[in-house]
This record gives sequence, C-alpha cells and structure tokens, in this order.
Amino acid sequence: MEAPLAKYLEAKLPAENVRVTNLSRIPGGASRETWMFDATWGGDGEEHAQSFVVRKDPPASLLETDRETEYAFYSAFWNTKVPVPRMRWLEPDASIIGGPFFIMDRILGCEGSTRATQAPPYLAVQAQLAENMYDILGAIATFDWRGSEAERVAEAPTVDTAWRKELDHWEGIINAQEISPQPLIRAAIRWLRANPPPPAQRITVVHGDYRVGNFLYQQDGSIHGIVDWEMAHLGDPVEDLAWSFNESWWWAKDGRPGGIVEKERAIALWERASGLKADPKALFWWEVFCHVKCQGIWITGARSFQEGRSNELILALVAYNLINGQDQSLLRTLGRLS
Amino acid sequence: MRPDPSRTLQGVGINLMTNVMAEVKSPFGQQTVGLAATLSFWLAEEAERGADRLVTENRVTRDILRDGLPLAGDARAAVEAAIATPAAANFTISSLQAENDSLRRGLIDLHAAVESNPSPDAQSMNERIWAELVESTRRRQFQARI
Repeated sequence: MEAPLAKYLEAKLPAENVRVTNLSRIPGGASRETWMFDATWGGDGEEHAQSFVVRKDPPASLLETDRETEYAFYSAFWNTKVPVPRMRWLEPDASIIGGPFFIMDRILGCEGSTRATQAPPYLAVQAQLAENMYDILGAIATFDWRGSEAERVAEAPTVDTAWRKELDHWEGIINAQEISPQPLIRAAIRWLRANPPPPAQRITVVHGDYRVGNFLYQQDGSIHGIVDWEMAHLGDPVEDLAWSFNESWWWAKDGRPGGIVEKERAIALWERASGLKADPKALFWWEVFCHVKCQGIWITGARSFQEGRSNELILALVAYNLINGQDQSLLRTLGRLS
Repeated sequence: MRPDPSRTLQGVGINLMTNVMAEVKSPFGQQTVGLAATLSFWLAEEAERGADRLVTENRVTRDILRDGLPLAGDARAAVEAAIATPAAANFTISSLQAENDSLRRGLIDLHAAVESNPSPDAQSMNERIWAELVESTRRRQFQARI
C-alpha cells in the first residue's frame, strides 16, 4: 500500500518524491481498517515530514456506514473546543488502495487504548480524564451545527422524533442483519416503543460512539483527539451520555462507566458542561436503546463473518462474546438479572 | 475422535498464546493472534456443550410454546407454526440451530402477545418467558474470560 499512497499524496499535496514509511495497521478498528504511516517529501528546496492516518473501508465490517458522513463530522469540529484530527482528503475511488478511504493528520504523543486507562501512569489521572471527557461531550452538545459540514450530511429530527428516528434506524439494521432471532432485543424494542422518552431538550450533534476507547489522551489526563465519528448524527444529546454508560465499556468491570468515573459524577460533569439536564426517564430510555444499538452492531459483524464477506477474527469474537454479553447487560438494566 | 475436539482447541489456544504470540512483532498481528487464541478457548467450550445446549433449549422452548398457545391471541397462528417445527433430524449443530431459530421466532411472537395481556395467566407466562430468556444467556456464557 506504500507505493499507491505515495503516488496519491504526490498528486494531492502536491509534491514530488513522496516517500511513505512505517505503514502499520492500528489494532481495533472493527468497522474501518485504520492504518498509520509517515510521509516525507521535497520539491520546494525543503524537506517536509508528516504523520498520517488512513481510514479504509473493508469489504465488510461491524458497521456499514457512510465515510463521507464521518469525514464531514470530523471536519465540522476542526478548530473547535472539540479536539479532532485535521481531515485531509476523502477518496471514493476503491481502486487506489483496495477500498474507498480518507486521510487525516495523525495526532502524535498520545495513548488511545482502553487497557492503558486501567494501569499506571494513567490510573492516577482517571478523574482528570473523566472531567475532560464529559467537558468535551458537553461541548459537542452545545456545538452550533447549523451551517456546518454536519448539517450538510445529516438530517435533523425534531425534538419529538429524535428517539423514533434512531430506534427505526437500528431496528431496521437488526431486521436486515440478524442471523438468528433475538428474543431479548425484540422485547427491548417493544418496551422502547411503548414507553417513549420525553422530548429532546434540543437537537445536537451526537457522536454516536462516545466512550473511553474513542479518544486520544496523555499522562496528565488531557484529551487531544475525539475519534471514530462513523455513527455521528443529529439527535438527542442524552444518547451520547447513555452510550458512554454502557456496560460493554466498563473496562474495570466495577460498574464505573469506562472504568474511570462514577456514573453520578459523570452526569454532574456533563450537566455542567452542556447546560442540559440528564432527565432520569430520558436517560433510562436511552440506556435501554443503547443495548439495542450495540446489538445491531454486533449482529452486523456476525453476519459479515458468517457469510464469508470478512475473515476478521474480531467479528467472530464479538459475535461469540458480545451478543450474549449485551443480552445480559440489557437484563441487568431492566432489573431482571443481578 | 480423541483427543477430544475441546481439548485440541484448548491446545491450539495455549500454543497461540505462549509460542506464537512472542514471535509476532506488529501490534495488529499480536491482536490477531490473541483473538485466535481466545476464540479457540471459547470454541473448545462450545464444541463440548453446543449440541446439549441446543437440545435442552429446544425442549424448554417447545414446552413454553405449547403451554402458552391458549394465551397467544392474534399470534396463535405464528405460535402454532413454531410448535409444528419438526424436531432436528440429527444432532449436527446446524440442524439443531435451525430448529432453535424457528422455535425462538415463535417465542418472540408469544412473548409479545402475553406481555400486553393483563390476565394473571398471561402475566405468569410472561414471567416464565423472561426466566427462560435469562437462562438462555447463562447457557451461552463462556467460562474462559478474555
């Protein structure tokens, strides 16, 4: 992939003699393949160097999302209070590196793994990480998306229809993707439709996968990049808060969201930063919804693997572990399993 | 076949974790080896229990459907169709899974019918279905942890 990337950059920068080195795939990334590489080039009498990240569509994945939407949400937040990497190029041509892709600047000097948050030296700054995490989520909820790139690619629901739009979307995915019937998730969907949440307080950008594991951080607890915007949309900001609480990301397995913060503290931080209220009825509805959404993602990956469209082992692992694990999390949320 | 498939898969997983992992240099390669090892441990469990899990669940689900049929209301035809699902012709996982899928489709229909029916019998059946759904997640739980 080095040679076609170098040729691509020569045309896009533009520059001569682009050299691509240190190309390696970043672990994780079950939806899009994520690669990092360094590039150097000359041509104007000076030597230039830049580290990049390329996000490439795989043949099949956990999610089948629109890369243009992800690129637009990243772009909308460039140079705002919400730190994101700078987007460079969006390329729909699948023939260049084997799939459509986009390239962004790489944020250097940061950690991104979930495991690192549970060990020294980051263990000592969990409180700062949490404060920054929910401050930034508040900034996403107060971001004026009108006139931004986000508005161009995303349809805005009303405050009354935000919940239904998301539920319709994810029920549709489950209908299309499930390999085997899902009695628990179907029960949850029936409950969600019978017990709609209060109207959204306002319509905001929703990151869609906001959790520990999707930001880049340093040893002082500062956060320098919010990543993985592939499920971003416009909707009820409580959705992101609820998603961050999902048991699938209890990395310390001790009931704390993300393994870094008590739930009540997270709610207080988010309310302070967003100026919104985490209405308990709304929050509970979105927490139940998030189990349905998670299951939609896991089921999509399971089908991709089952049908042979992908041999990524992460999809099989997710199917074996998380589909049942998510059912058990849902049961705990509903008070039917301790 | 001996050694048992479950023991063989366990051996595959141990080899991947102890011998292969150390030879792999890239983080992505190490992740892939780790995934393969974890899957081997889980498949070792599933190879041993899979048929028993499905036979048990199919029997329990069929009993619930039969007992719940009088409460099925508008879902009666769907529940009857599920009950009419032929028992798996053999004990291959794929045959048992196909039977399970058909029965659990019927279970969804029955569950939807009884949960909206306030009668004591319907509510009792609703609770019986929830109990079975809880139990179904226990049957699928793996002992080996990541």
